[in-house]
Amino acid sequence: MTLTATDLHSVLRRQTAKVAVNGVSKRFGDGQNAVVALDHVDLAIGANEFFCLVGPSGCGKTTMLNILAGYDDPTDGTVLMNGKPVQGPGPDRGVVFQQGALFTWMSVADNVAFGPRSMGKPKREARQIADHYINLVGLTGFADRYPYQLSGGMQQRVGIARALANSPELLLMDEPFAALDVQTRELLQREIKRIWKETRKTIFWITHSIEEALFLATSIAVMTARPGRIKAAFEARFVMAEDHRVTVTAEFANAKRQVLDLLWEETVAAQKQEDPA
Amino acid sequence: MRRRGLGLNGLSFGFLFLLWFGATGFGFWKPLTDPLFLPSPVSVARTFVDLLVNGYQGKALGFHVMMSLFRFGVAFGVCIVLAIPLGLLMGMWETVKSLVDPPIEIIRPIPKLALLPLLIIWFGIGELAKVLVIVLAIFPIMSISTMQAVRNVSKRKVQAAYSLGASNRIVFLRVLLPASLPGIFTGIRVSIGIGVTMLVGAEMIATSNGIAWMALAASDFLLSNVVLVGVGIMALMGFILDQVARAFENRFVHWSGKEG
Repeated sequence: MTLTATDLHSVLRRQTAKVAVNGVSKRFGDGQNAVVALDHVDLAIGANEFFCLVGPSGCGKTTMLNILAGYDDPTDGTVLMNGKPVQGPGPDRGVVFQQGALFTWMSVADNVAFGPRSMGKPKREARQIADHYINLVGLTGFADRYPYQLSGGMQQRVGIARALANSPELLLMDEPFAALDVQTRELLQREIKRIWKETRKTIFWITHSIEEALFLATSIAVMTARPGRIKAAFEARFVMAEDHRVTVTAEFANAKRQVLDLLWEETVAAQKQEDPA
Repeated sequence: MRRRGLGLNGLSFGFLFLLWFGATGFGFWKPLTDPLFLPSPVSVARTFVDLLVNGYQGKALGFHVMMSLFRFGVAFGVCIVLAIPLGLLMGMWETVKSLVDPPIEIIRPIPKLALLPLLIIWFGIGELAKVLVIVLAIFPIMSISTMQAVRNVSKRKVQAAYSLGASNRIVFLRVLLPASLPGIFTGIRVSIGIGVTMLVGAEMIATSNGIAWMALAASDFLLSNVVLVGVGIMALMGFILDQVARAFENRFVHWSGKEG
């Protein structure tokens, strides 16, 4: 099991993908103060894929997610899902944030039922859907708690259940485990792997952790430091392994070195941008 | 922790009370000051009972309290009904903010007491001018704190709601409004303190009732006891109203300040 390079620039590949990002650029501000966050990014995310975008901090990963979610428009280029342009946020694309996006004033059940309720489902049905997803993410028995009564890891489970409750076609995840401690993170990585295998949702996942990307992804794209471009893309199979100890195999280590070499230059470049002195 | 805090509160109150008792002599030694400057707690209590039984200037003590509460209540109610919705609109729409913010910002720093004579010329010596003086004091506080509360709502929460298929109406009712409640409550509690204080201004001219008026009128006759009873009742009013607001706050925004 090694990494196979893929070509996201391939037009055919993007035409047949579920989600196609075609030459997307994003510029913030004008004139001399303009910052180019994304520079002609091509992405092709196939149906049922677990797509990980890896890159140094500040490279435009979140900008890419904001555009996919419809919170932001690209300055250039197009984003298509099922061949139709993405316009504004919508329930077909569920989003999970790093933290602080739960509705603090609602119980866990009401948080998860928010999507179905907003889509006009009657209260009882929405609650049934919520209960289903609360069980799926392993929060059985916590439905009536409030987010502030839960640990950080459990809060992220709520966020995932809430995003799943509308059965979105695409899940967008912005470093959902980055703020968690190592043990909780590893636990949740296994959980999300299980959930992906059970639901086969198409997932777009942002991370700065190569290990996380290799462990979870069927597809990995490495981004450059700002302005964000796609530096390389691979197919990965480690997610298919039943044994979680796949991360300590020689193949995993090889793959990690392969991506690390690519990412390292960019990390150094990104650091220089942050601290020009 | 909480119990210990309450104990310390009691200690602090008790000490001040003892100091007051001591300065007025307990009846054991000569008061340190003339009772005109500082009447003893016992004589103030007697005056309170006397006022309770006989009223003040022909009207029951309860009537004076009710008149003050009425003036405060109407002003407070008007501000809840008008200032909070206005603040919500200002927080959500830059256009509304640009239109409404300047007049509010102009009114905010003016000492409202300075406007009282003008208000009486405009609106007469009835209740309107008195209520308006309180409204002018708390309207800017409530509207601006509400606006700030809306503007501080985490963008991520709003985005999450839209991604879950929420309409603008649902985002407002189930996200923006509840998320702003803690800030709105802060504005309400500050307003209660200021509103009760403003009673003194409202009942300064052209009145013959109200608890602040009672204290002010009594001071003209050097009735220090009555002044102290009036001040005490106003302090108690402010305290009780704040406790009520705090109870509502704990009930409706128990999640405030706790991130999830």
